[in-house]
Amino acid sequence: MSMSRYACMELLGARLKDELVVLSLGGAVDEWYNAAPHMRAASLFQQQLGCVTPEAFGLAVGLPHRRIVSLDTDGGLLFNLGILATLGNEQPGNLFIVVWDNEQYQSIGGPRTHTASGRVDLAAIARGAGVPNAFTATTLEEFDRLCAEGLATAEPYIVIAKTDGILEPGIKRKQSDGREDKYIFVRHVERVEGITIMGPSEHN
Amino acid sequence: MKAEAVDAVIAGLKRAGVSVVVYLPDSLLKELYPALDADPDIRTIPVTNEGEGAAIAGGVFLSGKRAALVMENSGLRAATEHLARLGLGAGIPVIMIMSYRGELGETNWWAIPHGITMEPLLDTLRVPYRIVRNSSEIEQAIEDAYNWSYNAYQHSAIVLGGGIVR
Repeated sequence: MSMSRYACMELLGARLKDELVVLSLGGAVDEWYNAAPHMRAASLFQQQLGCVTPEAFGLAVGLPHRRIVSLDTDGGLLFNLGILATLGNEQPGNLFIVVWDNEQYQSIGGPRTHTASGRVDLAAIARGAGVPNAFTATTLEEFDRLCAEGLATAEPYIVIAKTDGILEPGIKRKQSDGREDKYIFVRHVERVEGITIMGPSEHN
Repeated sequence: MKAEAVDAVIAGLKRAGVSVVVYLPDSLLKELYPALDADPDIRTIPVTNEGEGAAIAGGVFLSGKRAALVMENSGLRAATEHLARLGLGAGIPVIMIMSYRGELGETNWWAIPHGITMEPLLDTLRVPYRIVRNSSEIEQAIEDAYNWSYNAYQHSAIVLGGGIVR
């Protein structure tokens, strides 16, 4: 029924090159760090509940020519469902969202989220909020196909990935904190965009 | 809100290089929101709560564009969780312009908590702020907030009170 998040990340990572990624807190951090090493500098590791997709949307607004990928979670999206209505109204054409839905707050040991009951359908909520391209994937083949379609669609696109909640064993831990990660990410954006975001002060 | 104050806010935002305004509308700044919507140089994004707005503004910062979060001061309470994570956690600044609900002179009982909680919350979040009650000081205050936040990489706030909003 459900699939490995790490295997999903390997499939998604293989499709990414010039995109920017914003991702959630929890086990997904170290998994993404290992599953898509070529995207490390292009990924904002922020660990901010309820901020992930809104931050990705802000990036998408500021860089309309570049594809932005939000890697959110069931707990994170449920914390601020209002962002779906904002996306429904704003219709960013360069925002692709994956919600890792393992039906639990994995980072604190696994208490269930509201999706565990089987009654709460995040894709249906997104469609009702005005994002018609919102689908649920339960197999790797389905996930990969939806990623291919979503990354080529000029409308907001959401994939709810039903994953098994088993952390990938034996992977390298990311050592940096949120501040260091921000600097790495900002310098990457400055380089690929040819812009200055955090420039020099008036005097040295 | 007087027309001269609306003009001053927009002039200040432009002087600071702001091109995106995220807002949840309120009554004291009522005249500001349609003026922002109508400005061809500013993209406005209405949001469902101020925390979402703070996170969107943070994302805009990371793109190299400049954003403002405009709201009633009660929005600070809704945004506290997001502001703490963005600012104190990662050093991603959000510049806020908020109305001063509940200051002395307030005539609504429901607005009293907004006034009582605003300054302690700003202090708790380590957010420097300036309360402006004269329209002629708005433009410079907004520019000052951006200059500070873009060197501190921490939030700052301009609070519009007194005769500006009453």
